[in-house]
Amino acid sequence: MIRFQARLVLALVALALAPALPALGAAAPSDDAGAAPEKEEPKDRYLVVVGADIHTGKGEVLRDGRLLAKNGKIVAIGYDDFEVPGLDYDREVPAEERGYELEIIDASNVPNGRVYPGMVAFSTSGLLGGGGDYRDSIDMFNRNMLLGLASGITTTGQSSSTAKLKRYVPNSAARDYDFDGVVIAGKTLSTVSWGSAASKRSLREKLSGAAAYLRAYRQWQIDVKKDKELKEPSKSGVDSTMLSVLRGETLARFSADYQDDLSGIAKIAMEYGFRPVISGCREGWVVADELGRAGAMAVLTPRTRRAKDEQLMAAGGSSIENAAILHSHGVQIAIIPGSRGIDLGGIAGRDIMHLPIEVGFAIRGGLPEDAGLASVTTVPARLLGVSHRVGTLEVGKDCDLIVTDGDLLHYQTFVQYTVVDGDLVYDKQDELYFAHIRPRDDSLLAPLVPFDPAEVPIEEEESEGDSEEEEAEEE
Amino acid sequence: MVALAGLLCAVISASPAEGLAIQCAKILTMNAEDAVHAPGMVWIEDGAISYVGGVRDVPAGWTLLEEDEMWAMPGMVDLHTHIHSGGFADTNDMVHSVNPELRAHPALRPANRLVKLACSSGVTCLLGIPGSGTNMSGFGVLYKTKTSGSFEEVVWKRVGGLKVAQDSNPARRAGTEGWGNCRASMGWTLEDVAGKALGARREGRKDPALESLEKVMHRELPVLIHTAGSEGVVNTARMWSRKYDTQCVISHGSFDGWKAASAIAEWGVPVNHGPRTMDYFSSRNGRLNGTGAEYDTAGVPLFSLNTDSSVIPQEEFFLQGAMTARLGGDPYRMLRALTIHPAESFGLAERVGSLEVGKDADVVLYDGDPLDTRTRVIRVWIDGEMQFDREASQAFF
Amino acid sequence: MKKRTTHLLLFAGLMALQPTAQADDLFAVQVERAETVSHGTIEHAVILIEGDKIVMIGEDLPIDIGIPVIDKDPGWVATPALVNPYSRMGLSSRGPSGLNPQRKVSGELYTGDISKSVLEAGVGTVGLYPAGTGIPGRAVAVRTWGSGDARILRDDVYMKAMMRSDSSSKKTWRKGFEEADEHKEKEAKNREKWEKDREKLEKDAKDKDDAEKANKAKEELKKPYVPLTPKPAAAAFMSLRDGELTALIGISKSSDYIHFLDALGEEDVQWSLHVPISRESDLFHVKGQETLKGRHVIMTPAFSYHPGTLRRRSMAAEFVEAGAHVAFVPTSDSTSAHESWLRDVGQLVRAGLDPHAALRGMTLSGAEVLRVEEHVGSLDEGKHANILFFDGDPFAATTSLEAVLMEGDFITGEVNR
Repeated sequence: MIRFQARLVLALVALALAPALPALGAAAPSDDAGAAPEKEEPKDRYLVVVGADIHTGKGEVLRDGRLLAKNGKIVAIGYDDFEVPGLDYDREVPAEERGYELEIIDASNVPNGRVYPGMVAFSTSGLLGGGGDYRDSIDMFNRNMLLGLASGITTTGQSSSTAKLKRYVPNSAARDYDFDGVVIAGKTLSTVSWGSAASKRSLREKLSGAAAYLRAYRQWQIDVKKDKELKEPSKSGVDSTMLSVLRGETLARFSADYQDDLSGIAKIAMEYGFRPVISGCREGWVVADELGRAGAMAVLTPRTRRAKDEQLMAAGGSSIENAAILHSHGVQIAIIPGSRGIDLGGIAGRDIMHLPIEVGFAIRGGLPEDAGLASVTTVPARLLGVSHRVGTLEVGKDCDLIVTDGDLLHYQTFVQYTVVDGDLVYDKQDELYFAHIRPRDDSLLAPLVPFDPAEVPIEEEESEGDSEEEEAEEE
Repeated sequence: MVALAGLLCAVISASPAEGLAIQCAKILTMNAEDAVHAPGMVWIEDGAISYVGGVRDVPAGWTLLEEDEMWAMPGMVDLHTHIHSGGFADTNDMVHSVNPELRAHPALRPANRLVKLACSSGVTCLLGIPGSGTNMSGFGVLYKTKTSGSFEEVVWKRVGGLKVAQDSNPARRAGTEGWGNCRASMGWTLEDVAGKALGARREGRKDPALESLEKVMHRELPVLIHTAGSEGVVNTARMWSRKYDTQCVISHGSFDGWKAASAIAEWGVPVNHGPRTMDYFSSRNGRLNGTGAEYDTAGVPLFSLNTDSSVIPQEEFFLQGAMTARLGGDPYRMLRALTIHPAESFGLAERVGSLEVGKDADVVLYDGDPLDTRTRVIRVWIDGEMQFDREASQAFF
Repeated sequence: MKKRTTHLLLFAGLMALQPTAQADDLFAVQVERAETVSHGTIEHAVILIEGDKIVMIGEDLPIDIGIPVIDKDPGWVATPALVNPYSRMGLSSRGPSGLNPQRKVSGELYTGDISKSVLEAGVGTVGLYPAGTGIPGRAVAVRTWGSGDARILRDDVYMKAMMRSDSSSKKTWRKGFEEADEHKEKEAKNREKWEKDREKLEKDAKDKDDAEKANKAKEELKKPYVPLTPKPAAAAFMSLRDGELTALIGISKSSDYIHFLDALGEEDVQWSLHVPISRESDLFHVKGQETLKGRHVIMTPAFSYHPGTLRRRSMAAEFVEAGAHVAFVPTSDSTSAHESWLRDVGQLVRAGLDPHAALRGMTLSGAEVLRVEEHVGSLDEGKHANILFFDGDPFAATTSLEAVLMEGDFITGEVNR
């Protein structure tokens, strides 16, 4: 499917894609295009996004920018015209004549089109279909996955792994499903119990044991240089989970809401030198300074509502300002809605389909908008151990993006296109779910606008067109 | 919750002697002409609105509040709520299947925690109704969400309107004589008691248990009817609007109820929609249908929204408008569905629902589009008294 | 009914037949139309039957004097008897889980009859599948009459494998091939050792100093190589690889199919699919898969709705259009489901399914899944005389099944010769 307007003429200013050029040029077009019984070299996959403002997720916004991806990775973002080998922008080359796959998302048909990084939902349920090892259980045709993509989510934490919403790419029967691309990270969080006095004591014992081992180990590393016979300190009795937390291999994840608990977590984290991840964190705003000093990261739901304990003299209970106050003290915030699944029961605005709505409530409480976007992109990506691949739009990262029809955080904004690993996996107008709501002009569902030639001032339109082109050239 | 004690520490109110003038960037009056004054002014005198329009000179001695970044809108009105007792408690008597003699107002806890939250979100007038476990659970209480005040100070009408439930919940067979587990028997149960009320008035019999119901049957009190699904909606409209000429409002109208929208639009029956505003499973057209948007565009008169609080927290009433606008509705129409439409459909428009001269001074100041989740409610006046001030009381919503 | 006895039988193949034998064993049927399924429609068809077999079928064949002729009019239509390739009729639904490819349903057969109504509904052949999850065993193809082993048409017709989108079913499937690989490796080592031993024995045999040793070695050398006996699972997956056994893959939704292809990998085996048609089947997602072209897909003759809608979809028609061979099974194992089977498929035909594909789906396709297409499933010379006679288009609502012929015997129908 090529979404491409003939009037959009891109001069072929080369972008460094030269190595791919000879191979692609030499590819025989028609011979092996038909039935392909033998396994072919997979064709290179290109994806071009044009015609929208690109919000990279790092602060920059490229007005009417362009993005190019090759084989699922972003290779260029900018204002340059990309040369895709063999792509002639002046004419539509039939797909079967190309030695590569090409998808062009021309977002100029989307009013107020914006490109954002695909969202990362820290925790969801039911979006991937099965359970256990998602490589072997994912339902790539799952309705909930599609609704997740339609809501702008491209990566999610589920159980103890991080997975992509890898839909079976429509009309890709010739290409094998990318099973190995489903799970992109294993366990990055170690759940730590922080409830009863006994569990707190036990955690302290485990931590001090692990810390003692690490000290002994470091001493041994020094001493063994002198005395080669010296034995490595024994790991027996050392808690492996806490060892991995202290070594920075995994993050300790607590579930806590009350200020005493939160304060206790901050203290123990500072004492042993690790950064705690705290789910819930309802009264975090009361002890935000302590949490900030401990380098805590919080996973919270801004709409959580709980009255303060009436017996408590100090401030307490939930606050709409929780995220904002924590953020201002340096606590990184990841946001999830109260319901982690897709809820089609009819109560709208409270489930995983409405991540941006939930973020809106944090902003209502004073969280800056960029921190709001980070709370559903970069921060959860970091917590899930995949920030090197997803969360922002950067050259070298995975091409997971969404094209929206406006400000992501506005209540009327819809995702028009979703791309995962450089594949267009969702187009609002191609699925029944939302196609009827404010359909795009290129949709069959779009209302008919009677065309009156008398209303079009021909001269003006031409001059407008010219100036646009001039501007484009200047850039 | 942030301490509510500090809520009233800096009350800016209109004392009887001098008026209060609020000047802001945009005034959404919600009047019949859909007038928007940008910039504009609202004058408050003696708890009522004395002027709405463009900016003009304020009489000497008045307090002028210049909020040049703010939007003003009438306080929101929710007809289907259950927070008057401070929770879900004390809402439904489950002994008999019809209770025309019961009233919700004895359960009211003025200015309870949930009501304060509602106020802080710009909701100023609520109909607190009994539950829907039985076919006729009693009469709701109409009250303002003042953050302090006695029963007398917050209650507008002790008997605000009748609550009837004609589908789904009461079909669970509540009540000793509750054999009404299907539409036919629920219909009979309701017609039976309605007939008794009509008969009592006709024959001049005095029956205290039927006194209020008699008023409903003669359009002297409104009735809110819990119903759902396309068949339920038509069934309800047929009984309460065609068979009995009552001042009825269909509440919920969930699931595929919207498919009956054009039929009940023709009959002129208002719909008070919520807490569900979306349907996928019942409509079976493969879409996530914005059911509220469907009702409104089909021409249902005075389409309004509700929360069924605490099914949806009362303070998220505005979100019902936002979600309906998201799923296909017009955002401005949704603001009407949160203010003047519920007021008019329940006969309350003479005092609330819009910013017009002579009406109660229930005014809400926002720092932007009232439907946007990011927008904050800055100040709320009820009957001319400031009941919420974000700066003074800390934001708790 | 009229008898035609005046024509000479001209075909050489039949000249050899003894005239005396003809009286008992040989008869002809004349029909308005015969749907052969294998080679199209024959108008004014004559089918010559000897004993339990069809010996000849053609248009307006002349019939020799003395051969009894059954000629119904007007407008009889003959079709092959129906084949239900996937059933547990008369068997318990209990079965094992895990990898059990050596189990045989033929071992479960008992002498009791299958309901006569099934036979009278025109079903001549049934494939009985093994119950259970994972890989529960191998199916058997049986007649719908007779008892015990006499019913068996062919054993080991397919190995059933349940495939779900989960690790365990993929593991079960892969484990079968792993065991086959292990056996192959062991076998190779064993053979290598045997050959090494042989080298030594050959040396010993040439030993001139020790005659006794030489003779012993000579004796040993005469013994042939005895291959190792494979473990049952290994044996099954080896025969799957060499095409002796086929697999029937039971899936329930599209993702199961994609996971199966993943588990199958590069293995070259013959397999068919079994898919239930649920109210909201999502199988349309995979109908265009290259691997489904020419593939047999077993399904019930039912409609489903496009998910979330009331838009009716016919998976059967869609799969046929995409190039798959749909093989139908009744909606359940009950007698009534067999009795309404034709009517159910007829519903699909009226909704657009190609009637030829529909009839093939009830006869030859099922026979092919059961690998008994040499015997049943179409009207061809040499095949069993399992024929149904209708008084019109078999899928028309007003048509009735007038007579059922199984292996040369009329089961139902008032037929005078």
